[in-house]
Amino acid sequence: MSLKAYSRARAIHVMLVYTGGCNGCDIEIVNSILSPRFDAEQYKVFLTWNSRETDVLVVTGPVTHLNKDPLIKIYNAIPNPKLVVAAGSCALMGGVYKNIHGDIPSEEIEGPVENIIPVDAKIPGCSVRPQDVLSGVVSLLPKLLDAD
Amino acid sequence: MADITVLYSIIGAIITLIVCFIIGSFLPGIERKFVHARIQQRIGPPFTVPGIVAPIKFIFKKNLEPNSPAPGIYKSLPIISFLAILFILLFLTPQMYPVYLLSSIIAIVGLLKVEEICYVFMGALSKSVMSLSMKFPDLVKGAVHTDVIRSHIEDISSKRSLRMITYGSFPLYLALFVPVVCSKSLYIFDIVKYQQIHGPLLFTTAGILAAIAFFIGSLVVMNECPFNLIEAESDVIQGPYMEYSAGYRSIIYWTKGLLMFTLAALFTIFFLGFPLNIFSWNIILFIVVALIYTLLVGIFSAFTPIFINRQLYPIIISSTLLGVLAIIVGILV
Amino acid sequence: MIEDKKPRKGQFIETEVPMGTVHPAALEPYRVRFFVEDEIIQEAEITIGVNHRGVERIMEGLPVEKANALTEKICGICSNIHTWNSVLVAEKGLNIDIPDRANYIRVIMGELERLHSHLLYLAHGCEVLGHETFSMRAFYIRETVMELLNMIGGNRVQYGVSLIGGVRPRCELNEMRIQKIEEGMDTLEKNLKNFSDRFIADPIVNSRIEGVGFLSLKQAKKLEVTGPCIRACGYEHDLRTEMKEYNDFDFDIITLDGCDVRSNLLVRALECFESIKIIRQAVKNLPNGPIVNRSWEMTDCDITKHYIEAPRGILYDSYALEDGRVRSSIIRTPSLTNIGATQYACIGNHITDGQLCIVQCDPCFTCTDRAFEIINL
Repeated sequence: MSLKAYSRARAIHVMLVYTGGCNGCDIEIVNSILSPRFDAEQYKVFLTWNSRETDVLVVTGPVTHLNKDPLIKIYNAIPNPKLVVAAGSCALMGGVYKNIHGDIPSEEIEGPVENIIPVDAKIPGCSVRPQDVLSGVVSLLPKLLDAD
Repeated sequence: MADITVLYSIIGAIITLIVCFIIGSFLPGIERKFVHARIQQRIGPPFTVPGIVAPIKFIFKKNLEPNSPAPGIYKSLPIISFLAILFILLFLTPQMYPVYLLSSIIAIVGLLKVEEICYVFMGALSKSVMSLSMKFPDLVKGAVHTDVIRSHIEDISSKRSLRMITYGSFPLYLALFVPVVCSKSLYIFDIVKYQQIHGPLLFTTAGILAAIAFFIGSLVVMNECPFNLIEAESDVIQGPYMEYSAGYRSIIYWTKGLLMFTLAALFTIFFLGFPLNIFSWNIILFIVVALIYTLLVGIFSAFTPIFINRQLYPIIISSTLLGVLAIIVGILV
Repeated sequence: MIEDKKPRKGQFIETEVPMGTVHPAALEPYRVRFFVEDEIIQEAEITIGVNHRGVERIMEGLPVEKANALTEKICGICSNIHTWNSVLVAEKGLNIDIPDRANYIRVIMGELERLHSHLLYLAHGCEVLGHETFSMRAFYIRETVMELLNMIGGNRVQYGVSLIGGVRPRCELNEMRIQKIEEGMDTLEKNLKNFSDRFIADPIVNSRIEGVGFLSLKQAKKLEVTGPCIRACGYEHDLRTEMKEYNDFDFDIITLDGCDVRSNLLVRALECFESIKIIRQAVKNLPNGPIVNRSWEMTDCDITKHYIEAPRGILYDSYALEDGRVRSSIIRTPSLTNIGATQYACIGNHITDGQLCIVQCDPCFTCTDRAFEIINL
């Protein structure tokens, strides 16, 4: 294993961007990173809030109208190689807000994350379980290691 | 003959720097894994990761041009602050004692100031995407105060670091002058010699007072947890470092570890009176002091929230007074 | 009581510091503009509506069962209380009586959710304070509650317990579950007591939170602040005392008159103990019988209103039923009024405390972002 792959496998900086939705995924993810119960740091996954430090961008929520531009800006601010994880059913397909409606559909949803930025891994669930988040981020490792 | 001695000295100094750098880069990881994680009852990251592996990873990332009015200067700042600390270490080595003027406390204080000044410029030059540049319809109809000057969060952080320079690091410098007062010399050589004759300064009244002031002052210089107002996560996120990516970020990481070791080494030299010579068993003492220092810093930072001005002023004023008292005791005794 | 030393409006403003929409102290997307002079906040403006999804609009014309499930997605922190209130509206409109056992299970879930919400608040408050150890500790304590919620509801966040006429069959409490709840409450009480003792005794933390984010009772009443925030200002008001669901239970209303971040944190911590008390009573006196009443008929009804005490304050829900479909639904969440209080509480504090002052009122912008028209820009 080269030094590049070795170091990438041992320090993954994750940033969370929360683009609407119901707050559930967002708290579960921050919780899984933070709390001693799951403690993502033992798997060498670190939570950061600075886009310049990020390797993996975790996006939750169905990307509402006002959140589209910030998301693109943050994505562009991440240095290569970068990967995007869409977490939660809202991020995967717009969730209930886009797909279920009575007489009038919701107009504020800019669609799943895929429509806005390229997505590398998807974590289903409403809301996502912390275990799933960890395995989702870790499942990206081969892709991250092979990137130049 | 003289040429060979100079050559040996240079080689010795370089080897010292490399060894210190390697030891220093372990320290943040040790603090994170064995102190913070232990206190927080979790497993924590492997101790090599925060100090060594993460910076290596950042080297392999592609650099992005920082959002800054002067990207060139901005990018050179971490290198300047890294070099400043490296030079402090260099002047601490016994091989550099012949260079009288540089191997004195004046040079060390000056270089520490250079390191601190860098934060002011970093903060002023960084224009991150996370605050003002984030696209959001702020100035719309109905918004209050649409005509005031708008600033990035880093500008706030820059102002704070300016304040930290003016008063925050007083205790450290005062504490550093206590050995000077006791040994009546500015040169490290004389300070070390004085303590080898008269016993370590730490076990005198002035020494203990100065050591406490040194500890608090060093936390301020390092921006460790209770004094990390300039990089407080709850408002300025990472403060001055916001825009560094790739290699520049790894320099930031290494600077932290190296600064930690340098301060511990300063303590060992000025208060225990041992020269930083890696060709003798003294180096073990330096490592032990660095580990104890890391442990204390970790415990202190794990049990305190961020200090804002209301807590900062009393603590810094009292430790400044402690430093002044130590100097007076040093003069009188 | 501390004097109200807020600066007057329109004083000299040096600069504006906008934060958001992505910010570590906030998590939720919103924009806050701090107008500061020498790092002291002179005025704050919070812009919400960033994560407006139009829940009320998409509820229009949905079958009532589906709409009830949808209300759960309004908020991930207090999801159960939204469903509960929405179900209560339908039950009130259609005159449905629910079995006692179902009511008890609903109360247990509601109180467990209050515990998890308050513990989250404590953890997040400590995080914004910059005290990582306390934050981790609170998150660790919270996991006990999350485990119980997961056991009863089958999910860590969206449990979907209430449905019209009772509770879902999967939420039936058997012997094993009751025992687990009792054990969980014991562990929780022990851990929480240790945590609060440590928290109150810590002089540095106290100096950091005392007198910060001051909100006088007069101002709080003027801004119609609800929930624990008004109780932290010394005003005794808890809707649970008036709700018929809570008739059988004995608990105290916690009030403190500090009006600052400290009393806000303490009110939540002390309310956790009251919630534990309610859960213990409910588990002990759990009546036997069915958990769902299926003998009801769907009729049309007029606009029905119902109020409930959510973890953050008073939650209002109202809709009319027409052919089993929801019409003109309105939901008013407690954060809507508390946002005004957060803006006011920020004034006069250091900018690092600004985020703390916003957090002190426990605002949930996700809950609140529903009833707004998006301006076309």
